[in-house]
Amino acid sequence: MKAADEVKELARGFRWGRRPMVPRSAEPHTEEREDVGFPTDWARTEAGVAARQAILRGIMHPLVRNERSLRVFGLDHLQDVRGPVVFFSHHSSHLDATLILCTLPDRWQRRTAVGAARDYFFDVWWRQAFTALVYAGFPIDRARGGKGIDKARELVRDGWSIVVFPEGTRTPDGHMQRFRHGASRLALELGVGLVPIAIVGAYQAMPKGRWWPGKGRPVVTIRYGDPIYPQEGETHQSLSLRMQQAVAQLFDEDRTTWFDAISRAERSETPSLAGPVAPAWRRTWEGSRPVARRGPPKAWE
Amino acid sequence: MPRPGFVLEVDERTPPLIVHEGEGYRMQKFPLGTRVVYPPDALPGLRDLNAHIRQALLNPVGDSKPLPELLFAGMRLTIAVDDISIPLPPMVTPDIRQRILEHVIELAARAGVDDLEIVVATALHRRMTAAEIRRMVGERVYRSFWPTHLTNFDAEDKDGIAHIGQTEEGEDVEIMKRAAESDLIVYVNINLVAMDGGHKSVAVGLASYKSLRHHHNVHTMLHSKSYMDPRPGHSAINDSTIRMGRLLASNGLKIFQIETTLNSETFPAQLGFLNKREWEWSTKDQALMMAAKKANEVAPPRVRREFFRRIEASYKVTGVNAGEVEAVHERTLENLHRQQVVEVDGQSDIVVMGIPYVGPYNVNSILNPILVHCLGLGYLFNMYRNKPLVREGGVAIMYHPVPWEFHTIHHPSYIDFFEEVLADTTEPKEIEDRYEERYATDPWYVHLYRTSNAYHGVHPFYMWYWGAHGRDHCGDVIFVGGEPKSVARLGYRRADSLRDALEMAKDSVGPSPSITYFHAPPIMIADVR
Repeated sequence: MKAADEVKELARGFRWGRRPMVPRSAEPHTEEREDVGFPTDWARTEAGVAARQAILRGIMHPLVRNERSLRVFGLDHLQDVRGPVVFFSHHSSHLDATLILCTLPDRWQRRTAVGAARDYFFDVWWRQAFTALVYAGFPIDRARGGKGIDKARELVRDGWSIVVFPEGTRTPDGHMQRFRHGASRLALELGVGLVPIAIVGAYQAMPKGRWWPGKGRPVVTIRYGDPIYPQEGETHQSLSLRMQQAVAQLFDEDRTTWFDAISRAERSETPSLAGPVAPAWRRTWEGSRPVARRGPPKAWE
Repeated sequence: MPRPGFVLEVDERTPPLIVHEGEGYRMQKFPLGTRVVYPPDALPGLRDLNAHIRQALLNPVGDSKPLPELLFAGMRLTIAVDDISIPLPPMVTPDIRQRILEHVIELAARAGVDDLEIVVATALHRRMTAAEIRRMVGERVYRSFWPTHLTNFDAEDKDGIAHIGQTEEGEDVEIMKRAAESDLIVYVNINLVAMDGGHKSVAVGLASYKSLRHHHNVHTMLHSKSYMDPRPGHSAINDSTIRMGRLLASNGLKIFQIETTLNSETFPAQLGFLNKREWEWSTKDQALMMAAKKANEVAPPRVRREFFRRIEASYKVTGVNAGEVEAVHERTLENLHRQQVVEVDGQSDIVVMGIPYVGPYNVNSILNPILVHCLGLGYLFNMYRNKPLVREGGVAIMYHPVPWEFHTIHHPSYIDFFEEVLADTTEPKEIEDRYEERYATDPWYVHLYRTSNAYHGVHPFYMWYWGAHGRDHCGDVIFVGGEPKSVARLGYRRADSLRDALEMAKDSVGPSPSITYFHAPPIMIADVR
């Protein structure tokens, strides 16, 4: 191996320029204690909300509009819903949270906070501050199971809606991964509604590993669905399953029509979003297939 | 309190880990989920070593009088010391043997002892050179005794060997005549690993081939599981040496055993990163590692070898015990285990080991392919208690370039063993039956052993037997980076990278094997539950 490559490997392995990390199994054992972490409550004060809305409307929204062609459907589902709710979506890109916050109607945007992985978004001060300010972000500890969503519980009790991505991490290949049960447990515990969101085309626009959308104003569609509510005696596993189906149905609706999607869902024939059982490259190949533009071709196309 | 050893599970946060491969090392990314066994941190050394030595000599353990009471004018005193095979690498001077010798000789001089011989207990190892002995015993001892009263043991001196008797298992016990006829033998030991010391010191270190063959054979090695676990019933070789030692005691031999243990500071401060866990490396450590690695890679082989030859371990002494052999050894093992034992939960399908540049038989020499086999499947594989790190039928993956290279002065019989015996068969039992006797009694090898600095003619056989248990236990042995010809001669397979080796191992252990990387040196013992 060339010296330069070795240095590169070393830099990657030892996380040069980033916070050094100790392998989990080598971390010294400490009694579990309440880790308050980076304070985020300031971002949910009146001033914080005003600042965030200014950023979202003044910077983020124009930026999003400039970089891709955005289409939003299903906001009417939210008209008669009383908050708080848990917005959930599959997680395909770093764009997801921005897209959701930018497209939410004002009354929801003001009182919605985004759950973000503690180990990723709350590691260095500037990322913590950015996440808290722009997304009203609060940390979710992915390694702590039920205890990792303490903050989410507190916010919902305070009347804040939250945005979560139950897969826990962005898709590596464009297909939906298994939902973890934090959101369903929370909904069951607090009896709040769960609003499904499908984001079509975000993976193609900016997949994991990219920091800026690709050229050509890729089409991204945000489709909000009907809220689903926990049923009497329902388990968190079955609720998680219903949540996955709700997202899949929205994708189906985007691909076909609202009516067809409902009919297929009734017959349990909604196409799965889990992707083919195939080698990684084929899954990525399928997952990254460009999203076709809809409607009549533009004059210059 | 130093941290105990522990088992790391490789996750995405784990940096590449260092793996020794002969006169060099590499940084290796291991698959997620690999277990890595790390030795405990180095124990602190004894503060006032001279005081501890005095204390040990004056307050012996077991059924023994203090040393001054055992010394008297007109007596015959023989002091035996361990040879250059321990510690590894050689420790910074003054060597602990020098410090103990000076205390013992001082007491002997005060008691009016005139007939005093110091012998290096080489058994069938090579004779140490004058320079090596001087470094080991120090200038004062060397000047007073070399070369007339400070000598290497000669196991082929027919007139210098005494037959003591046979154990209840029919094992011949023969040791150095001078020692057998002495009023007192003082043995100065360094206990680097659990198989050292105890009755093995005299009954093996000062024994002849006729005596050694009773335990240095294939049957014994296959029944030593492991020979690093000296509890009765676990190690046939240890049981045999205990029988021999007890026979010596019952025949009136008086042995005053002095045993020492060292901590695990295997590498000097300049290479301090080798003593640390990788994620604790500072930027300086990383830069030093990279610089040393690159310099090592571009250096001509002679320079590289010289660099490694000059490495001196900064070992600190963690214990000195003296007195009756068994009582002393019990304390020694306790001390040793305090430093070396790591608990590991269960076996795995694959064990990965990096073979370092030095083993017991190539100090100031070359680690030839047979010694690579011995160090890997003999020593490292056997560093366990209860059961091996790898399951029966599992795969051992070892890192070493295995060059087809021999030291013609130190290892002449190894060359013929490699060219003649291994070309014919690699089966230990067959080798023992068909070739051992001839090599052991070959007059040319005997001559070189006695007059030059050559290992005995039979020594390569022992090295081969040493790995017999590991060879028998593993379904496959793969050398990463090994020279194709020499690895094939050893009867093993080779791969260019860990990825290739794991791919090859699929034949034996299936597509998703459990992997354990034994992160040595420093030396440790895996207590596999």
